[in-house]
Formats: sequence, C-alpha cells, structure tokens
Amino acid sequence: MNAAQAGARAARAPDRSLESGGKGFFASGLGRSLAKNWAACFLLVMVVVFSLTGKNFLSIVNFQNVIHLQTLPLLLAAAETFVIITGGIDLSIGFVAGLASVVAAKLMQVFVATGIPVGWVILLGTAGSLALSLLPGLLNGVVITRFKVPPFIATLGMWGIANGVALKLCQGFPVAGLPDALPRIGNGYLLYVLPGRFVSFFDKPASFPDARIRELWRLVPYSFPFVLAVLGTLAFVLRYGRFGRHTYAIGGSMDAAIRAGIDVDRHLVGIYVLSAALAGLAGVFNVFQTGIGNYTTFSSMYELFAIAAVVIGGASLSGGKGRIFGSVVGVLVLAFMENGLAISGVEPFYRYIAVGVLLVIAVVIDKLFPDLF
Amino acid sequence: MHHAPAGGFALSWEGIRTWLGGRWILAFLLLETVYFCATAQGFASPNSAQMLLFYGVEVFLLAIAELFVIITGGIDLSVGYVLGFASIIATKVISGLADAGTPPLAAVVLGAAVTLLLGLIPGLVNGWLVAYLGVPPFIATFSMLGICHGVSELLIGGIYAMGLPRLAADIGSGRLLYLAPGGVYSFFVRPEVERGTAVVELVPLMVVLAAVVIGILAFVLARMRFGRHVYAIGGNRDAALRAGIPVRRRLLQVYALSSVLASLAGLVYALKYVSGKADAGASSLLDSIAAVMIGGASMFGGSGTVGRTLVGCLVIGVLDLGLRMSGTPTFDKYILVGAILVCAVVVERYIEGNGK
Repeated sequence: MNAAQAGARAARAPDRSLESGGKGFFASGLGRSLAKNWAACFLLVMVVVFSLTGKNFLSIVNFQNVIHLQTLPLLLAAAETFVIITGGIDLSIGFVAGLASVVAAKLMQVFVATGIPVGWVILLGTAGSLALSLLPGLLNGVVITRFKVPPFIATLGMWGIANGVALKLCQGFPVAGLPDALPRIGNGYLLYVLPGRFVSFFDKPASFPDARIRELWRLVPYSFPFVLAVLGTLAFVLRYGRFGRHTYAIGGSMDAAIRAGIDVDRHLVGIYVLSAALAGLAGVFNVFQTGIGNYTTFSSMYELFAIAAVVIGGASLSGGKGRIFGSVVGVLVLAFMENGLAISGVEPFYRYIAVGVLLVIAVVIDKLFPDLF
Repeated sequence: MHHAPAGGFALSWEGIRTWLGGRWILAFLLLETVYFCATAQGFASPNSAQMLLFYGVEVFLLAIAELFVIITGGIDLSVGYVLGFASIIATKVISGLADAGTPPLAAVVLGAAVTLLLGLIPGLVNGWLVAYLGVPPFIATFSMLGICHGVSELLIGGIYAMGLPRLAADIGSGRLLYLAPGGVYSFFVRPEVERGTAVVELVPLMVVLAAVVIGILAFVLARMRFGRHVYAIGGNRDAALRAGIPVRRRLLQVYALSSVLASLAGLVYALKYVSGKADAGASSLLDSIAAVMIGGASMFGGSGTVGRTLVGCLVIGVLDLGLRMSGTPTFDKYILVGAILVCAVVVERYIEGNGK
C-alpha cells in the first residue's frame, strides 16, 4: 500500500509543481521555504503574539522552564519520528515511558535497601531500567516483522501490556522513597549567576543564603545538553547515516527497499527497539525530574501528542517523510501554545482544542502542497 | 497444497485449520468462561452473566461504532472522548431541564434526544475531514479526541457533572422484569415488597436498549445496501467508486454513525452512573478496538461482522469480570487484553493461511 501511495505521489508530483509554478509566490525560493517551514513560522508568530498578550511570557526563565519540562515529549517525538518515517506507528511509547519510570524507581528502592552508595543506586537503577525498556521494542518489532501484525495493532497491544505491568509493579501509586540526589541532578543548572556579583558552575555557592534564592539566575538546565546530545545524534544518524537512509527508503517504498537489498525486517526491529529505548530514556529522565516513579495515566496520551508533534513537524503518516528538527518544532509549538495560553489567562482546556485544530491544518497543508516537502 | 481427507483419523494441520476457521475465538471464549467458573467464586451464576452484559454495554456500543469505521479501512480514536462528552451533555441537559420544572420523564427523553443530536457533530466533522479533505482517519479522529476532551472539560468545570433526577438513575439501573416470592412479578418497576425479601431482577434495561440498537445495525450491515457499500469501500475503494457507490457520502455517514453510537454509550454511562465525566471512556479505546480485532476484522478494511465483534466484546468482558471476581487487581486486565489482541491477529493470519 505504501509503495502504491509513494508511486502515486511521484506520478502526481510533476504536474503539481507545474501548477504551483503558476501560483508564483509559493514556487519561488522564499515562499517555498516559508510554506515548507510553516510550523517554525507559526511558532515564531505565536511567541510574538504571546509576548504581547501574556505578562512574563517573554523571559528566559519561562522559556527555560517550558523547554525543560518538554524533555519527555521531545524524546518521545524523536522516537515516533523514526517509526513514522518507516510508515509505521508506535502507540506504546507513552506507557513504555511510564513502565521504565516505575521500573527505575523500583530498582532504586531495592538498591537503597541494600545500602550501597547512592551513586551506584542511581547508576544501576538507570541502567537496569534502560536495558529492560528494550524488551517491549523487541517484542513489537518481532510481532510486526515475523508475524506481519499491523504496527497499529502490535503496539496497541503493547500499550495495554506495558500499562498493565507498570500499574501492577507500582499498584497504582507513584513510587517514592528514592535518593534525594535524583531531583537535584534532574533539575540542576549548569550556571548560577547573581548579576554583577558572581558566576558559579553546577551549584550555587555554599555561602549563598536560601532566603535570597529568587535573586539568583539559574541558567541552562542539565536537560538541555542532554536532550541536545540525544536529538543531535539522532538527527545526524537520520540525515547522514546509513541507518537513516534505510529508514527513509523503507518508508518511501518497502518493495524498492527490499529490491535494493536492505534487510527490511531487521531494520524495522531496530526501529522499534530504538523507539522503545528512547521511550525508556524519557521515562528514566522523568524519575530524575520528579524524584518519584510515575506510571502513565490514560489521559496523558503522550504517544498521541508525540504523533501530533511529528505530523505538525511535516512528517506524513504514510511514511517516507519527516525530520527530527521538524518534530522538535512540533513539540515546541504544542508546548508554547499551552504555556502562552495559560499565561495569557485562557482556560487550559483550550489547549486540547487548539492541538486538534492545528493538527488538521498541518495535514491539510501537506495535502495541498504535496511537492513542498 | 495438501488437503486432508474429511473425517477418519487423519488429523492434519490443514484439517484442524479448516475446522477451526472462525470458530477458534468462540472456543477461546468457552475456555475462558470455564476457567473463571472454576476459579472465581460466584462467577458461575446467572447474575454474573447479567452483570457482564450490564457493565459491558458501553464497550459493546463503542466496539460496534469502531467496527463500521474499521470495515471501511479507517479508525476512530475519538469514540472514548465522544462518550465522555455525551455523558456530560446528557447530565447537564437532563438535570437542567428537571431543575427548570420539566417533568422528569420529559427531561430524560428530551435530554437523550439533545445528546444524540449533539453527538452527531463530532462524527460529521470527522467524516468531512476524512472523506472530503482527505485527512488520514488517525489524524482527523485524534484531533476530534482533543477537541471533545477540551470542550468537555470546559463544560464540566470540575471533575464530575452531576444532579440527575431520580428517574434517570431508575432507568439506568432498571430491569425489565422483577420476580418476588409468591408469584409476584412486575415489569420495569420494582415491586413493593417487605424489606428483606429477595427480589429476582432480570434483564437490565440498558442491555435491552443496546441489544435493540445493535440488532438493527447488524441487520443493516449484513443485509442492506448501506452495509454492502461499507464492505465495498473497505475492500477496494477504487472499485467501489467505479461501481458508482457514493464513497464520500458513505464515509461521512459511517463516521457520523460511529459518533452517534459513542454518544449513545455516553448517555448510557450517564444514566448508569448518574454522572458525567470527561475521561469516562478514556480507557475504552483499547477495549473497543481490541474487541473488533479479536472478532477477526482486518485493520485494512473489508472484513468484520457484528456477531464476531460481540464475541470479541464478550472475551474482554468475561476476562474483566472474572479477574475482578477472583480478586486480582484490574491491572492484569490491560496486560491480558493487550496480549490477546496481538495473539488474535497472529492466530487469525495463520488460520486463514496468510501467515508465512
């Protein structure tokens, strides 16, 4: 089916471009890149508008907080980007993240009880949980490639399984009693600056009184370099690496990829394992951020928002298209929209409505200008 | 290909496969039921069968909604939140009318009508997006999920919508027939008996409602032109177009039907639990899609029947009730439904001989 669609798109492309050639503006360089990056443009316009309507929206502290809190969605969107480019879908990532979070917390609880040093507790808990989070991905991949179950069904099954296992492990309550160091690492900053007085790295100066903490500028949360490194690597692999080329090839045309000698099954298993691993990373990071193990609730719908972000970022559910940068823009569009609306005093529930409308706009733009991307 | 001789002792894989055909899921349901009858205390009673149906009404309705959409090759992610939206509308409208002095029965009937009418809107928008704008069903209905969620939360202004008149609760948990000792029986209304006498309550009204609606839809899908068109669109859309089927209009109707059924489920929820909640159906997404797939439909469209979908619902319902009655936490249910969903699709492929 994918091959047929891709073929149809290719066949349509020439006359479409002639058509838009007649339209002028969108065929020219500037108009074309504007339309292609409409989500980024929208993000900019939105930031300007909210800066005018919302007090305190335009501030480094607010922007830092928004992006810091989007670490989990950013990682999930990156995971979903790979899967969607192959023409698949992974509905399980939200609950795999919750599972990883609970497993990490439980492991750390156990290690704390054995009395080993805190550093080891955190390291072992993190490593154990990350290793375990490969399993759902492996199962997804095997079920999809060996048993030819549609990705939607296979990962919906894993959606239930991961959720059930996570809930069973934590009995429906967040897992507490973890080392205090966790939230300090997860919410730490690289720079602590008191304007005109001092600059300090990694921690505030010991002599600085807690009462005056509000005067201190805390800049660059640890999550920034972390996310930047992960997403940068993924973007590089997707764009320049062989793994990335094969990913696009499979999404563009499965048949062509097979004929080109790509081991499609193995690659797809790799994709779903990668997706689950990133979800696991997101879940473990969540433990660092909150200091407890959180299972994922039904209404959080992480996976659906991740898919929304990827689609807003220019990917197509029929595969073959998508960029990490686009997905990041998609996540930020959703995040700044929520934050800006909240700061401007709009009821938070409009967020859900706005996401829905935006998503449809994204797809309609994609339909109207199929040759743009 | 080797074909096993019919009868005799020649048991071959082919033979078993042919015999099992579409029956394996029934066999599974039977096994499951026997297992819980043996292990869960009180499961083997007529009352638990009633409870199974009573608590399952929403999932039955959502699964049938999803079935129509899946047969066309689409998916409707919004049904769960349309259910929540409808449960809030029903609660608000009925309690509002009752407070304004409308007689309770009129309030319930009017409220039900308004709920179903408003419940059409999400479906019409979904259908318009999918059929006329070419938006993938996944995206269109996910958008609608968000919109319904947002609108519900705005309407509700809290956690629950409440304040339904007593009659609503009476209808929601009412039974068709009540039997009291000494040959006393009454329809619809619980007979006045001394406190402490055991009254046998038979056939919940909501189950009757769902049975009638689903019965009509089963007929429509299997016997009427609309049903034939739905299968044709899912089987091969181009061929359906060439055969002169108004594909776009049919798709619009299918999504509208799906959303009306979800609203009906929301109405049932409001009457049963005497409240409305935005995320009332949030966890039903897995159940409804799983029921359709366990019933042997294909994600790619063109296949699936109402009967087999109901069997799929029962598989999930028996599991849920059985686990509850054996005292296991309900978390196990998600794991098992997820596993059964994937296994069902795998088994289906092997039995049909598509799996390699």
